Amino acid sequence: MIEYLAEAYGHFAAALNGLWIWKTMLLMAVGVAGGLIAGAIPGFTIAMAVVLTLPFTFSMPPEQGVATMVSVMVGGLSGGLMAGILTGIPGTPSSVATTFDGFPMARGGNPGLALGLGVWSSFFGGIFSAICLMTLAPQLARVGLEFQPWDFFMLVMFALTITASLAGKHLVKGLIAGALGLLVRTIGEDEAAGMARFDFGFEALLSGFDFIAVLIGLFAFSQLLSDVRDPDKAIKSLSEQGTVNARIDHVGALKEIGKRWLVVVRSATIGVFTGILPGAGGSVANILAYDQAKKASKEPEKFGSGTSEGIIAPESSNNAVEGGALITLIGLGIPGDVTAAVMLGALLIHDVVPSPTFISEEPVLVYSIFTAFFIATFMMIFLQSFMLRMFVLVTRIRMYMLACVILGFCGIGVFALHNVTFDLWSLLWFGILGFIMRQFGFPLAPMILGVVLGNIAELNLARALAITPDLTPFLTRPWSLFFLIIALFSAVFPVFQQHRGRKKWTLFYMPFACVAASMPLYMMGGIPRPIIATIVVVFGAWTLFKRWKSGWALEETLAQERAYTEG
Amino acid sequence: MARLNRDTIVAIFLLLFCGVFIWASFDIRTPDYGVLKPSTWPQVILGVMTLLCLIYLVQSVKAGPDEDAVDPTREPGLVGFLKYWQNPIKCFVMFFIFLYTLPILGMLIGGVSFVFILMTLLGGWAPRQLITHAIISVCAVGAMWSLFTFGLEVMLPEGVIYNPYAN
Repeated sequence: MIEYLAEAYGHFAAALNGLWIWKTMLLMAVGVAGGLIAGAIPGFTIAMAVVLTLPFTFSMPPEQGVATMVSVMVGGLSGGLMAGILTGIPGTPSSVATTFDGFPMARGGNPGLALGLGVWSSFFGGIFSAICLMTLAPQLARVGLEFQPWDFFMLVMFALTITASLAGKHLVKGLIAGALGLLVRTIGEDEAAGMARFDFGFEALLSGFDFIAVLIGLFAFSQLLSDVRDPDKAIKSLSEQGTVNARIDHVGALKEIGKRWLVVVRSATIGVFTGILPGAGGSVANILAYDQAKKASKEPEKFGSGTSEGIIAPESSNNAVEGGALITLIGLGIPGDVTAAVMLGALLIHDVVPSPTFISEEPVLVYSIFTAFFIATFMMIFLQSFMLRMFVLVTRIRMYMLACVILGFCGIGVFALHNVTFDLWSLLWFGILGFIMRQFGFPLAPMILGVVLGNIAELNLARALAITPDLTPFLTRPWSLFFLIIALFSAVFPVFQQHRGRKKWTLFYMPFACVAASMPLYMMGGIPRPIIATIVVVFGAWTLFKRWKSGWALEETLAQERAYTEG
Repeated sequence: MARLNRDTIVAIFLLLFCGVFIWASFDIRTPDYGVLKPSTWPQVILGVMTLLCLIYLVQSVKAGPDEDAVDPTREPGLVGFLKYWQNPIKCFVMFFIFLYTLPILGMLIGGVSFVFILMTLLGGWAPRQLITHAIISVCAVGAMWSLFTFGLEVMLPEGVIYNPYAN
């Protein structure tokens, strides 16, 4: 243990030494400031800000480039609250729940306290997340070292399935989007044999689509087009829609948070674990944390009218999400969400391929990410007050102006990645595709993950078949089976949610899932995993017992009975 | 036709798309080495995708015709369609022209022109707006171009008109 801590300290010191130079600090400060502004502009997501930063970082050393991108990400996570609290329009999807109480509090004459609560909750959520990142990522990487090609392949399938399942009732569209992403990645020469695939006689297609150009097209380009779709809204500026003058009340906010520290810890924990789950990002975490805070509150009726807990919970959770997403990226090489997928792209540009051996092979770079996360979180607190004034200026700019300038930036940035004009055409075509997909209700996250993870899946499938052409290891290897089982249950989850409490089979979903997931854990052997498996089985059995005790009554029936008794 | 909704049309289009790719996947050459043929993985994906598209088609046919899918503010007909989607169409067309003229105009002139014209098309061309658009496009694209050219030493596309890297 002491040896491990000493080693970690050595890497941390080396990382800090690399980052603690004026140029990197300046870039990080600019990154945090840029992220704060980008996050504050409704329609500009954090992922988009990070995507647009990517071209600037390719000439930097890896540590510096990644630190800059982490700074943009941290800034973006906190920027959304400014617009949400002051204008009632969430800057990013991850600050939707902040507006529920932030905007009423600001309108009720307390914008400074609302902002202060948001800023400091973001800070504490970020710090909590950074600590989890530093402690959990190396542990997860150790687990990841057990993974063989079969397990990695199934992990990718699980990541895609769970991302698609987040599309809820549009599960099939989500799965189609994921498959389309995988298919896009197959275009061009295949990495294993070098054979041309789907080039349709075009030489340019032989090298395939650059995934960063695809990503910027699908995500940023299509988002910008959606933002200017309505001609009336496109010529309006944000400042026409609320009060944008306020001073952050730091002292009042800290006192308030001190009284509600449990909300911070609970919400940040929700954020970290939501982040670890592939596909579930800040947009899910902030609503989940808000809901939990409301359920646990002594005054749930005050939620929605400007209560402190209603701001603390979503802001602590959404800042904690990225730490969670980076845990899976650093530990397993699998990005947890779109922002982490862009970070993966940044690492690939610098010829660094994240995998379970990433921490042992590139310890200084990994610790640079950890350290940058910490430093950027502190920078965010100092820059937030200043950027609030900047935000007031930005809100005077009209949407169409921002969109046009950023479209121009996208063009320059994408070309700069490889100096290839074909990438610009990819940007255009995938921008159109992304826009059409948005209009038809196809979620983009599964497609983006499909594009990012496509070759990881194929390479691992090729490796697995090279070891043995037998397909049974996909079912007999514990980790592979584990991912297969949870992928199947996550695919059925939206159907379960839809019929929960109304159909009899939903009573057995959770107990059955617990028993099924515990099987591969027992197969893994050792001591901790069978113990975890037993806990899971006991939980499943207890759920089943409860349902048996209630006479297999559906929740709907129970709710009716309850209403009758109370009424 | 009355039972067709937009999801059905998308599903049929996706099935055709899968068909084209499945057909193209048989043209992928197989080398003498390796266990996983280059065509296997794409065919697996296409098989799954076709199955999903069929489910999507069945679901969309079962759902019946659209009732609230179309924005009520949208006028009917082609003119209404073009009016409703005018801004994204302007962006696509302008970006296409920007790329098409890139070898002639280069990134600097092309980029400034693209941003200026697109802003004018989306925002209007009153004299004051034109001045604002000109200032924004020159400053924003100019700064970005300078940053990449001089700061990051990236050679952005040069055009026939302006050739900054010739010397």
